[in-house]
Amino acid sequence: MNYTLSSLIFLPLLAALVVLLLPVRLERGIKAVTLGGTLLQLAVALWLYLGFDGTAVANGQTGYQFVEKLDWIGFSLGSLGRFQIEYFVGVDGVSIGMVLLTGIIGVIGVISSWNITKNIKGYFSLYLLLITSVMGCFLALDFFLFYLFFEFMLLPMYFLIGMWGGPKREYAALKFFIYTLIGSLFILIVMIGLYTSVIDPEATAQQMGLIGQSVPASLDLIRQVQQMLQQGAISQADLVRTFSIPAMMEPANFIPGSLLHVFSGVSLFDLPIRFVAFLLVLAGFLIKVPSVPVHTWLPDAHVEAPTPISVLLAAILLKVGGYGLIRIVYPVFPDAGAYFSTFVGGLGVLSIIYGALCALAMNDLKKLIAYSSVSHMGFVLLGLASLTNEGVNGAIYMMFSHGLISAMLFLVVGVIYDRAHDRMILNFRGLAKRMPAYTAFVVVAFFASLGLPGFSGFIAELLVLLGSFSAPEATGMLPRWMAIVAVIGLLLSAAYYLWALQRMFFGKYWIFPELRGKARLTDLTSREYLMLLPLAVLAFVFGIFPHLLLDKTGMTVTGFTELVLRNGQEQLNILQAILHK
Amino acid sequence: MEEQAAQLTQAIDSILAGAGSLVPELLLALFFLLLVTLDLFKSKTVKRLLPWVALTGLFSVMVLLVLDRHVAEVQFLNLLRSDGIARYAGILFSLTGIFTILLSLQNPKIEKRKQGEGRGEYYALILMLVLGLNLMAKSVNLLMVFLAIEVVSIASYILTLTLKEEKRAVEAGLKYVLYGTLSAGVMLYGMSFFYGLTGSLDYTLVSFWRSLLDASPLMVTVAAILVFAGFLFKISAAPFHFWTPDVYQGAPMPIVALFSTGPKMAGIIVIMRFVAAFADPTIASAFSDVQLFLGIAALATLAVGNFTALWQRTPRRLMAFSSVSHAGFLLMALLAFGSDYTASVLFYMTVLLFMNFGMFLFLQMAEEDWQVRTLEDFQGMGPRIPFAGIMALLFLLSLTGLPPLAGFMGKLLVFSNVWEAYTATGQPMLLVLLVVGILLTGVALFYYIKIPYHLFLKRNQTAENLVISLSNKLLLVFFALPLLVFFFKPDLLLHWIEKLLA
Repeated sequence: MNYTLSSLIFLPLLAALVVLLLPVRLERGIKAVTLGGTLLQLAVALWLYLGFDGTAVANGQTGYQFVEKLDWIGFSLGSLGRFQIEYFVGVDGVSIGMVLLTGIIGVIGVISSWNITKNIKGYFSLYLLLITSVMGCFLALDFFLFYLFFEFMLLPMYFLIGMWGGPKREYAALKFFIYTLIGSLFILIVMIGLYTSVIDPEATAQQMGLIGQSVPASLDLIRQVQQMLQQGAISQADLVRTFSIPAMMEPANFIPGSLLHVFSGVSLFDLPIRFVAFLLVLAGFLIKVPSVPVHTWLPDAHVEAPTPISVLLAAILLKVGGYGLIRIVYPVFPDAGAYFSTFVGGLGVLSIIYGALCALAMNDLKKLIAYSSVSHMGFVLLGLASLTNEGVNGAIYMMFSHGLISAMLFLVVGVIYDRAHDRMILNFRGLAKRMPAYTAFVVVAFFASLGLPGFSGFIAELLVLLGSFSAPEATGMLPRWMAIVAVIGLLLSAAYYLWALQRMFFGKYWIFPELRGKARLTDLTSREYLMLLPLAVLAFVFGIFPHLLLDKTGMTVTGFTELVLRNGQEQLNILQAILHK
Repeated sequence: MEEQAAQLTQAIDSILAGAGSLVPELLLALFFLLLVTLDLFKSKTVKRLLPWVALTGLFSVMVLLVLDRHVAEVQFLNLLRSDGIARYAGILFSLTGIFTILLSLQNPKIEKRKQGEGRGEYYALILMLVLGLNLMAKSVNLLMVFLAIEVVSIASYILTLTLKEEKRAVEAGLKYVLYGTLSAGVMLYGMSFFYGLTGSLDYTLVSFWRSLLDASPLMVTVAAILVFAGFLFKISAAPFHFWTPDVYQGAPMPIVALFSTGPKMAGIIVIMRFVAAFADPTIASAFSDVQLFLGIAALATLAVGNFTALWQRTPRRLMAFSSVSHAGFLLMALLAFGSDYTASVLFYMTVLLFMNFGMFLFLQMAEEDWQVRTLEDFQGMGPRIPFAGIMALLFLLSLTGLPPLAGFMGKLLVFSNVWEAYTATGQPMLLVLLVVGILLTGVALFYYIKIPYHLFLKRNQTAENLVISLSNKLLLVFFALPLLVFFFKPDLLLHWIEKLLA
């Protein structure tokens, strides 16, 4: 077996252990180990990116590459039969971009953390734990493993915001923790429902004695087991229940009589119980995305978090939400995904517009950028809800591109905050005169974010808009007005960025009198160049050569949309009976 | 006359035949007597040896139970049953006793009472309590249940009053005795109803439940409510939890830790044996109200425990309500009639044992060594006690039920059983319990995180490092390690439990 993915996940963890063992006073050593660990991870991620075959057929159910599958926990629970939890990781077109992004941002975040002074050992070990769990989330294909990493992200983040954050850090950290925990509890409910309903056909065949232990099952045999399962010809004791996400995508793996089976006929609040489950997981991931109206934790967390943590939060943590929608929610509940597409798309459009309007009203530059994140994440929802190839590709591209650009945005805010200990837009004017290089990067970041052609954000927005505009014909999802309203969001984002640029950076140099004493507005240092320049170059490269990512995602997305649309339609037909009761 | 004599010999024979299964209990009683006798000696060396004698007793009982291989049969004229459940529970109770003594050895207040006054009785009573717990887990007859519960209660009353020079201890002891005797009386009254209605105290008989079906439903309901009042009191479930915070505030920390685990686990097993009859669908459907009533009690317990904990300002009271909420989870697990939940419940109790003792050890250190009385006193202490602080964080997260700690695994198993039972029966109460139980985890985080919040997020001027004794450090690790192991490899424990139950 190939251990590339495990090394990606556990390299930072290993580095964290080394950091914990180093004595507190070896500050340089701690930083060096952290940087080394993340650099190594980036190298592996790059190697993975280059080795990933974008032409292979994949659809979420099959076609994973670099797969590692090991038995982890297996137990039988009385009448419930056997349970199986696997260490199951793999990469496909959806996750490859996220993995690369996590590698890049991991390194940038360390560079940006270089001037942290308080409790360095604690900070960097938590940082590395956070990177480990984010990476684990993107690679896990077992729901239990995914949930483990998903929940484990909360804790380091809580302490990173709560111990190294701004004045209201305790409040923001707690709010972040509670919000996302509630989200993950919704997910937990559905996870329990799913794993008690889904079997692993291969392991069941082994349990039944059809094939020997640890002999892989042929496709025919798997079909046969699935047929026997649906006919109720397998005894309870032989069923091996699984957390495997790909197994959950196959309707034939659901145990007849289980509540989440398409034929269960159970309804709750006049909706099929599958729809209720969909709405629960959807809510869980929407909190993480975040989408309006469950976004309110984000501005607080961003404003209070130290710069590097804001970068991590915006660039990779939020992506877990969108990623979870693509990896789990839609393929496992395609019927509900198709049924609620207007609802999800509507939330996307609402986030785009509402986030942009909020950003317009903000006086704090960091809050402005936080709300712009909400607005941009709306595009991910819109693209995904369209279920067109363009739309879903656009959603993935948006996550990747926003990862690069939002990192840059929070870094430039950090630069001004480091110097002036203030980031109110109205307290500064004409900064371009004093800090020309800094202003140049701000301009690049702002323009990249508002979707100027030539930067990655443009490609993403274009794809999403194309997808959602063509959706009514192509897939029958989304009303047409949604794409049109989303365009207004683009205009608004141009408005808030340009307005902020004009107010803060152009005109005659002036800063708020009270700041004059303490603010030392020097231009960028070489460390700041080191973290801003790569991001700017990457945003540009991925704006000019979109195929760098689209070639990798394309096949998976095609398979994904086909799977979701086909299964969705079939299952919706069955569920119509409940819906029109 | 002849006939009676024959019956008597038969009875004596069956008692003698069953005596072998009572070896652990007899051993405990023997060590109890030994401790009481040794306590008569004035020599300081003997006094110093007392806890170690008690530890030896408990440890040998545990070893005996681990190695022991007994057939699951009913002994003593259908009074006791030494099956896998009782055996595993016996191991848990021995561990509870051992942990209690280990914590007591680390507690300066208990250890340094003038000239070891009352030392013998303290350790002897712990043995007595463990003996009672073992009997509770074995009883399958209402009268025996009552007697076993009383043994535990009487030992508990005295242990609460260990530090009798402290006012709050006296208050707690008095309240506990009053509530406790009242609930015992009520329970006994209910049991007499059952006896009157069925002519039997053996609730494992099918005829017991059949005759209840024929009896007037009102009488059965009254009797059931009275009996369950006693059971719920013992596991500190709502609405019979009022003694919990006061007792937790007044008793010495090791005893609080003991109360939060031992009697609760034993009480759950008593209820589990009582409702075991409902695994039979015909009986379950005839008594479907039981699920409803107990479901409401579980919901109330969960709600009261979690929401009241939010307003607590001292760690002891916080842990009291946390223990109430865990009673709710365990009670909920018992309602998944039809799904085989024994293994899940035993797993959950094992995890509860480790996390509660770990947390109470931390609180004991905080109270005795760092003079922490309220949650605010923890302010900014994290950097001064990084190691203990991180351990406390582990215990609290496990209590909340977050991965990667065994508390999560325990809850996952319980919730799976409830989901399965809901799939099988479609009882809406089960779904409500499941959803409420899971969502209350969010509330639980809110209060559990208060301690790490004050420890690490709040800042404090003083920065001198606090010294923690090596033995305390080792104990913290000892309690924390299983929480990680049982998360990553729960099958180790589950396989063993399955094997014992088979």
